[in-house]
Amino acid sequence: MPELRKDPILGRWIIIAKERSKRPTDFVVDDVKTRGGFCPLCPGNEKTTPGEVLVYGREPGMPANSSSWKLRVVPNKYPALVIEGELDKQAEGLYDRMNGIGAHEVVIESPNHDDRFSDLPHDQMILTFRAFRDRIRDLAKDSRFRYVMVFKNHGRAAGASLEHSHSQLVALPILPRMVTSELDGSLKYFRYKDRCVFCDIIHQEIQQNVRLVCENSLFVTLAPFAPRSPFEMWIMPRRHSSSYVAIDEETLAGLTDIFSESLRRLDTCIPNVPYNFVLHTQPLGSELLDHYHWHFEIVPKLTSIAGFEWGSGFYINPMPPEEACRYLREVEL
Amino acid sequence: MDKKRILLVDDEDGIQLLYREEFEDEGFAVDSAYNGEEALEKFRERQPDLVILDINMPGMNGIEVLRQMKEINPDLPVILSSAYQEYKQDFGTWASEEYIVKSANLDELKAAVHKYLD
Repeated sequence: MPELRKDPILGRWIIIAKERSKRPTDFVVDDVKTRGGFCPLCPGNEKTTPGEVLVYGREPGMPANSSSWKLRVVPNKYPALVIEGELDKQAEGLYDRMNGIGAHEVVIESPNHDDRFSDLPHDQMILTFRAFRDRIRDLAKDSRFRYVMVFKNHGRAAGASLEHSHSQLVALPILPRMVTSELDGSLKYFRYKDRCVFCDIIHQEIQQNVRLVCENSLFVTLAPFAPRSPFEMWIMPRRHSSSYVAIDEETLAGLTDIFSESLRRLDTCIPNVPYNFVLHTQPLGSELLDHYHWHFEIVPKLTSIAGFEWGSGFYINPMPPEEACRYLREVEL
Repeated sequence: MDKKRILLVDDEDGIQLLYREEFEDEGFAVDSAYNGEEALEKFRERQPDLVILDINMPGMNGIEVLRQMKEINPDLPVILSSAYQEYKQDFGTWASEEYIVKSANLDELKAAVHKYLD
């Protein structure tokens, strides 16, 4: 029989359709053939991107936007939101509108066109997580922005338009609804129990050890109790912290290690799986929060969202997380 | 002096007719291609000075064509001209010099062409 499960933070229900249960090899992954041709993100083509706002690994003495680098962050050439201008909030009767102020940046995670993020060596992958921290810190100085959404689309089915490994930051003048729902849900729990719901999840999952995918001294990777997608994983720091930008170098190294292991486990289970990952962190300009806990959510793109999901807000997941966790743990790296 | 040559890639007859008249009036020579394959062929044959490239076409889309053209000649200016904004989310469009949304008013497109050819 199917089972309904409730996410303890958002109160969102999902349906675990056990009778549709699959093995990892049963999931159909889209053709991964690349489109090829000129790549605007490759070294040597820097003039096709806007000027970099952050670069790591450029040799001393080399000019800005030259082709020696290990990671670059550049503004989106054709952004949906624009950085110039003052916020202009208006009402139209009962409706609200505002002008499209924001910042949209692209993190070019490696100079090598064919590198896959999950296969990056530690010293290269850590640059991406450092760039997220450093760019959020910088964007936080702009008082117009309230949140920086950090995410990666990997694979065409997950929305990646270029095969060259990249992730994105979007600074927004408003709090996304998902963020406010998570903040509200975790605050409600905190007021009731005087504990962080994420810390409680970590403690319980370590104790039960049925959805714990992997761990190190600083982080755990869990298959969440009520996942939207088969093989969904959350990477969470063991120590309570609401703000990603407070992360130090030692913690960045621990994050890189567990991220790499988690993605390699996923990719071994389902080769070339498309996925999205999203950083969940506290809003800009906020004091550190006792009730919130930053983390990454990795959501493989293995199921489609159709009328039922749009209408109900429920997700149907054919893979119980306990089973997904077992597969993820058992793979040999 | 030889006229500067524009390769106009669009599958719509109306756009081909309108743009050809307008840019010939501006003093350019205009070659037409109606799909990606024909565009790449004429790109090699005619060696245009600039390409105006539609995105939503049958067969190869304009972004694929753009990346092929830039592989051959990264310095050749290419202006993407689409009726749709949403292709801006495809970072393959970054290989272009400009992305201009189609409009009855051709001032923006003409200004972009002159920017690269004058």
